[in-house]
Amino acid sequence: MSDLDKAIAQLRACRPIPEIQVRELCYKARELLIEEGNVVAVDAPVTICGDIHGQFHDLMELFRVGGDVPDTNYLFMGDFVDRGFYSLESFLLLLCLKVRYPDRITLIRGNHESRQITTVYGFYDECLRKYGSANVWRYCCEVFDYLALGALVIGASSELQGTDAALANPDPDANVPSSDCDDLEIEILNSREHIVSRFRRKGYVTSENNCLPAQPGSSPSQQLGQTPSRNGAPGTGATSSSRGSASNAGSAVLCVHGGLSPLIDSIDKIRLLDRKQEVPHEGAMCDLLWSDPDEIEGWGLSPRGAGFLFGADIVKCFNHKNDLSLICRAHQLVMEGFKEMFDSTIVTVWSAPNYCYRCGNVAAILELGEDGSNAGYAPRGNGDAGRSNGVLAERVEQREGPGRRYRVFDAAPQDSRGMPAKKPVADYFL
Amino acid sequence: MSTGSADKDADMVSGINNSRHRLGLDRLPPEVAHIFSTPSKRIHSGDDLSYFLSSTAYRDLTVWLLQLNRSMFPTKTSDGRLDTGSLTSPPTYSANIDNLRSMLGTLSALIEQAPPSTGPRRFGNFAFRDWHRLAESEADALIRKHLASSIQAFTGEDPSHSTALTDELKAYLMGSFGSAQRLDYGTGHELSFIAFLGCAWKLGAFVDGEERSIVIGVVQPYLELIRRLILTYTLEPAGSHGVWGLDDHSFVPYIFGSAQFGPMIEPNDYSRPVPTEGSLRTAPSPAAVANKTRTLDYKDDNMYFSAIQFIYDVKKGPFWEHSPILYDISGIKDGWAKINKGMLKMYAAEVLGKLPVVQHFPFGSLFKWETDPQAAAEEKAKIMHAQQQPAAVVSKDVLLPGSGVGTAAPWANSQPAQRGMIPQMENSTGVPSTRAPWASSGRGRGRMQAPSANGDPATAAPWAKRDMLR
Repeated sequence: MSDLDKAIAQLRACRPIPEIQVRELCYKARELLIEEGNVVAVDAPVTICGDIHGQFHDLMELFRVGGDVPDTNYLFMGDFVDRGFYSLESFLLLLCLKVRYPDRITLIRGNHESRQITTVYGFYDECLRKYGSANVWRYCCEVFDYLALGALVIGASSELQGTDAALANPDPDANVPSSDCDDLEIEILNSREHIVSRFRRKGYVTSENNCLPAQPGSSPSQQLGQTPSRNGAPGTGATSSSRGSASNAGSAVLCVHGGLSPLIDSIDKIRLLDRKQEVPHEGAMCDLLWSDPDEIEGWGLSPRGAGFLFGADIVKCFNHKNDLSLICRAHQLVMEGFKEMFDSTIVTVWSAPNYCYRCGNVAAILELGEDGSNAGYAPRGNGDAGRSNGVLAERVEQREGPGRRYRVFDAAPQDSRGMPAKKPVADYFL
Repeated sequence: MSTGSADKDADMVSGINNSRHRLGLDRLPPEVAHIFSTPSKRIHSGDDLSYFLSSTAYRDLTVWLLQLNRSMFPTKTSDGRLDTGSLTSPPTYSANIDNLRSMLGTLSALIEQAPPSTGPRRFGNFAFRDWHRLAESEADALIRKHLASSIQAFTGEDPSHSTALTDELKAYLMGSFGSAQRLDYGTGHELSFIAFLGCAWKLGAFVDGEERSIVIGVVQPYLELIRRLILTYTLEPAGSHGVWGLDDHSFVPYIFGSAQFGPMIEPNDYSRPVPTEGSLRTAPSPAAVANKTRTLDYKDDNMYFSAIQFIYDVKKGPFWEHSPILYDISGIKDGWAKINKGMLKMYAAEVLGKLPVVQHFPFGSLFKWETDPQAAAEEKAKIMHAQQQPAAVVSKDVLLPGSGVGTAAPWANSQPAQRGMIPQMENSTGVPSTRAPWASSGRGRGRMQAPSANGDPATAAPWAKRDMLR
């Protein structure tokens, strides 16, 4: 068993590793991360996760529900630390897994992966308390600076193969589409692998809590008699004639912690940022980690004091321009674990159940399947024949979203948690 | 983590307590004309924070808090009985205390008129804004009605004076119920209520010896109202260290509640400092807080346990995990007075000494933004003294975060607090919404010149849609 595997085993048992090992781990992680671009390309299948916030036992629950690394390919969208009791153990475990299985787990940066924020929201206090010095906090912050800002999931299937599982609510009137129907778009499973609901494409979708409107059913391949403008790799503005098919599959999913920035209109612009620094107070990098979608038009001031609010028009325009079918982000608590907005052009995924021990929410992860057609070859062309040229016309064509399987889970049961020794109290009480 | 500062801070606490005279906030002399003014925010930077720490407002807040704190220790009555100051056997209340109680009652009743909305939301309930609007619209009349005698005494028949006075009081009162915009509540709001009561004291609304009645009769009902607001509208904690804060929302119940279980003192003997060790003989062990059932036994009598009970009400999970700081404190062996002393020190550092908290505190004619001459003299003496000393051990986190990396973050510049209050461990309150710490004053600072494509950015205030943010 290698030292790394030992460290993984120790952290899985929720025991911190010695400072010297942390230093080594962080050094290795940085060497690895420095090679990654600002926007990491990730091939489907992949399981996308939102905020963790030091809820270690719930992270273990997440792995139980979603499968273990390296069997499952994971993408974590940041906010590993702060607020919870086990930021340290959670982040170090994820980092160990990253170093051990670099191609099976992707970590991108959240707004909490920052020196300033961690000194206000708990991670700094935690390191000080668990190690008696701030060295570990400092090592971790150096890793934060190297985390990618986003990820682009490529080759996600637009088809969803339904799980062969029992219904959570075996009510014959529930009218859940069968697993073999060929136009399944969304499936929601609970942590016992029971099907909560399924939605078909172009469906008459009803759900009280989740914004899952019927897809417009538009096909971007409709010939409107216009010249194709671009058909380079999805997520790039590049032009290419390599593959101009009208296929729908293969449009990409952008994953980012917060959201969009008024300074960023293409994914290539994200690629040009100098990310290896503390998160600035404003500017594109800051916005990507801080912004939130909201029911507004255009851009709005964020009540957070950093980043912006952005409306449906912004998302649709951005997705169209960048040939995205979906933006996947985290950053905001959602009581139901996930929330699709703006005709399913953007989704919030939240993976910290009963957030802060009191919010009473469930958590979710999002699975995107691999496009099995084309023998696993992910088409890089975007087939945007029929697109309007340049300036966005009033009607924005919408890419058909990937098939989405949400697994929803609760907080880990209390008996899975240990009992710590009492630590010396703060100086105030000495 | 230790520095010399904690001791100096203790000196500050006990130093004031050592005074042979009755310790208390000075009242305004009614015979002298006083110009009231609407309070305004003055603390914008670390330098302002340093100034605040040597201001008369700071001195007054500290004196007032210590005055209330002392009153909560168990006492021996004139006939030799023990008076524990239990919440369930309250003292008799004066007319003004009854007035303030009914004011809080009225504000509490307004919740019925602003039922939480049931529509889609993330966390904080927008209906809180309705409650806040109602309270705001009633505040003026409530203050005029319930503090009528004090207002009359200081402003006579002059309506402009009484308006100025009412406005000054209203700023503190309305500052004490959380933020309607952000749908949150924290220790800064709590401080505002303590200041509101301090204003009333300065205006002669209370008599000497009435402090305990103020805490039991007004502060505790205020805290109960706050808990009701938090539950009804799921208000977020303002500012947050997550589990590493003392409590998500409150601080003063831990101060006053630990005093309630301290050793008995002679109420009129000001020559002896408030005890910093030991407990009342009948007090439970501090370890009892980690036990749900035992907490139930004390929650109605004691403010500390009442606050702990609220944590049990809203949190799920092991106590040591969601409240590790309180759990650690529950292991203290030197009694409730030791806890009380620690709470006061922690309050000075984590509430009064923290820019993100006190930057919202407004200053007027009663809590004044002016140098406290005594503090300035002390400071001078300290510097002279320090020059003859070897370099002090510097608290680690003074070196660390923020400073150096930040550009505009106001708190990144905050100086090690004066008067020996170098923050030692960053605890305060804890949870949900993450706000940019550098943005808490003057939100947004006109960043809205975003190269927005489709027109008008932020016509309607976008935060009117505010969600629970991360």
